[in-house]
Amino acid sequence: MSLLEVKGLRRDYGALRAVDDVSFNLEAGGILGFIGPNGAGKSTTLRILATLDVPTAGTVLLDGTSLVDAPDRARPLLGYMPDRYGTYDDVTVREFLDFFARAYGLKGAQRKQRVDSVMEFTGLGPLAEKLTTELSKGMRQRVALGRTLLHDPRLLLLDEPADGLDPRARIELRELLRALADQGKAVIISSHILTELAEICDSCVIIEQGRLLAQGKVEDLLRQSAGPSRVTELTVRLAAAGDEGEALWARTERTLLEQPRVKDVAREGGALRVRLELEADAGPAQAEAAAAVLLAALVAQGLPVCAFSPRERNLEDAFMTVTQGRVA
Amino acid sequence: MSTQASPASGATESAPSPGVPAMTSDRWEKWGDRLNPLVVKEVRQGLRTRVFWVCFGLLLAACLVLSLIAFGNTHASTYTREGRTYFFSFFVCLALVHFGVIPFNAYRSLAREREDETWSLLLLTGLGPRRILAGKVASFLVQAALYASAVGPFLLFSYFLNGIDLPTILMVLVMGGAWLVFLTLVSVCAATLADSRMGRAAVRLGLVGVLVVTFFQTLTFTFVVTQERGSGFSFDRDFFLGLGAAFWLLVSDGWLVFETAVSRLSLVTEDYTRHPRRALVVQVLLTFVGMTAVWWFMDKDDDIPGVMGILGGLHLIFASLFMATDVDGQSRPLRAGTRAWSLFKPGALRGFRLSVLLLLGWAAGCAVLLRLSDDSTGSLRMAMSMVALALYGVLYLAVALLLGRMPRSGRFASPVSVRLLFILVGVMGAGVPPLLAVFLDLEGRDELLNLLNPVLGTLNFGRYDYSDPSGLKMPPELLVCVALVALLAAFAADRVLAERERRAHQQ
Repeated sequence: MSLLEVKGLRRDYGALRAVDDVSFNLEAGGILGFIGPNGAGKSTTLRILATLDVPTAGTVLLDGTSLVDAPDRARPLLGYMPDRYGTYDDVTVREFLDFFARAYGLKGAQRKQRVDSVMEFTGLGPLAEKLTTELSKGMRQRVALGRTLLHDPRLLLLDEPADGLDPRARIELRELLRALADQGKAVIISSHILTELAEICDSCVIIEQGRLLAQGKVEDLLRQSAGPSRVTELTVRLAAAGDEGEALWARTERTLLEQPRVKDVAREGGALRVRLELEADAGPAQAEAAAAVLLAALVAQGLPVCAFSPRERNLEDAFMTVTQGRVA
Repeated sequence: MSTQASPASGATESAPSPGVPAMTSDRWEKWGDRLNPLVVKEVRQGLRTRVFWVCFGLLLAACLVLSLIAFGNTHASTYTREGRTYFFSFFVCLALVHFGVIPFNAYRSLAREREDETWSLLLLTGLGPRRILAGKVASFLVQAALYASAVGPFLLFSYFLNGIDLPTILMVLVMGGAWLVFLTLVSVCAATLADSRMGRAAVRLGLVGVLVVTFFQTLTFTFVVTQERGSGFSFDRDFFLGLGAAFWLLVSDGWLVFETAVSRLSLVTEDYTRHPRRALVVQVLLTFVGMTAVWWFMDKDDDIPGVMGILGGLHLIFASLFMATDVDGQSRPLRAGTRAWSLFKPGALRGFRLSVLLLLGWAAGCAVLLRLSDDSTGSLRMAMSMVALALYGVLYLAVALLLGRMPRSGRFASPVSVRLLFILVGVMGAGVPPLLAVFLDLEGRDELLNLLNPVLGTLNFGRYDYSDPSGLKMPPELLVCVALVALLAAFAADRVLAERERRAHQQ
């Protein structure tokens, strides 16, 4: 049985349907990415899962307990981190965590032990006596994550956890989340930073205008979004600049478009993105062979190619395909 | 970064160390565990703020300067009666903090909690809205006690300056304390009123206005009690009755406001209306018992049920405006245990039924006391007036509900819309008949034209005089007409709300 079962979830605000018939499951130890543009219904769904809102229809079972009918019984099983960190002024890291530990009903030595343990896990130990207002964004994020872990929940709901973090803090957050999943906790992360999600999540749910558009394992979503014919993308860079360089870029584009398997070529920053169309049953070997032919053609033309690499489809591509490019 | 230590490990072993200091520390620890966590956090946080230390320092400095002036004055003459002046001065210093800074900071604390979303994090801990609100109020009362500890010795010092007795000092301090608790409670609860930015700004402005006005009212009361005692003003029976009534109002309305705020912060899946509705019913019953006791004690004076009937009626109409405009139906988990007359359960239908029962019950109870009064010369018209007020309350509430909730579109069905409709129809009901009277060349307060006028109708029934043949003619038969119209409208509103509840439960 799944740890979390969401079936036919619907949330109406008057005439507006924010969430429409959303269903998905999540196993213990799994990390699920919740993808969607702003206003897609991600936060509303997370708030319902966090028992802070009530669905108009549908059922949500967390370890067999209904979040709608018995929110009080379900709350100890879940930890929710909203998109705002929710820390207090004039409170040290230890005091903040100690306060929430008290609020969760932890007493005496157990509370102290749990706070210490969470601080060690999140790497907040050296900052224990610092005021939360003096912390960097990344550290405040860790304090917020530490708070959600105090009562040892089985399901973590993280709303845009990587938003506004620098690359180092993102990598550290990713490691923390992996460690939590390894401990058997189920994690739902809502985000619009798709590349970030692809590296963390096992599975994804794509939602737009409240409706679920696609769901499944990340690899499956990528495969599905590629469509019936196998399309491979390549990135080509030239060692060319200035007016003369512009002519070289144009020549390269023309040369590429003359090749039989090239579907289209587009300028993207300082590179060319080339889409190659292969047969539906084509494997990696065929893709590599086609790329080799293309490279040979460019070199034969004397074009100054300085980089030539296959471009993997990522979650962003899958998202754009599934949502047909409609982004709010 | 270490990910070795697992927060999920949950080892609960403690390291007890024997000895007296450890035992004392354990005792403190256990005692601290029993406290509301918010009290610990808020007091700790509050004592770190600049506002606290600035206010504390200024308060202490002001009191010290005043004491030095008092000391200098007592040296100048052999006997003075300056105590009451200095007591009032010290009280003004404390009042600035107790009736201004503390309530406003209490409001701001909860308002920020809601703005920053930390509110929802608190809810998830299982503390619940009741403990959260209670913790907020208690923590600011602890801070108020710290301020009071600075001014307390000076207030007592004023007793030794002569001119003020201990009972007066104690009474002012007790009433001041009750007022502080009430204001803090109301301020915290005010923070739950608005969800939008504009709404919050309006509430904030309104609260500041209320605090400023009540601050000067409190000082006026304290001035009268401390300065005027012995010169025309005394602690007689009427004074204590008024004081008792004010105290009861603070306690019962404070409880009601608290329960209403808790219900506003509860989820719709919870039985959010049970506590506020129960608080209102208890308030009505206890007030009626208290009123009956006072009425008996004061030789069945008909003024008591007469005044209380009208004031209580107005209070109930105001409360009904919130009860009867609740959303339709209940959430799934609550439906199983809900019967037709489960009046404390959520839903506009049950709120409306309870409102009608309370309004009519209160009016009937007061009317019976009036009829039993020794001096019953004007009791019939007073009784008719208060029954009419209750009936108008029912009628206009029913009309607002019909206008708002009968159309299928549901455009004006929201609680706020129905409340606005109530005000609109009330204003129209009170304003249109006198205007019509002008056009029809009739007297403005014409009996028949104003029969359904909530203001003039109530007044007309109260003015009815048997002895004056040229006076107003408002016989009980007209009251029966008003009753029929009100009950018919109430029945229609009841059916509409029942139908809406049925539809809400079908969705």
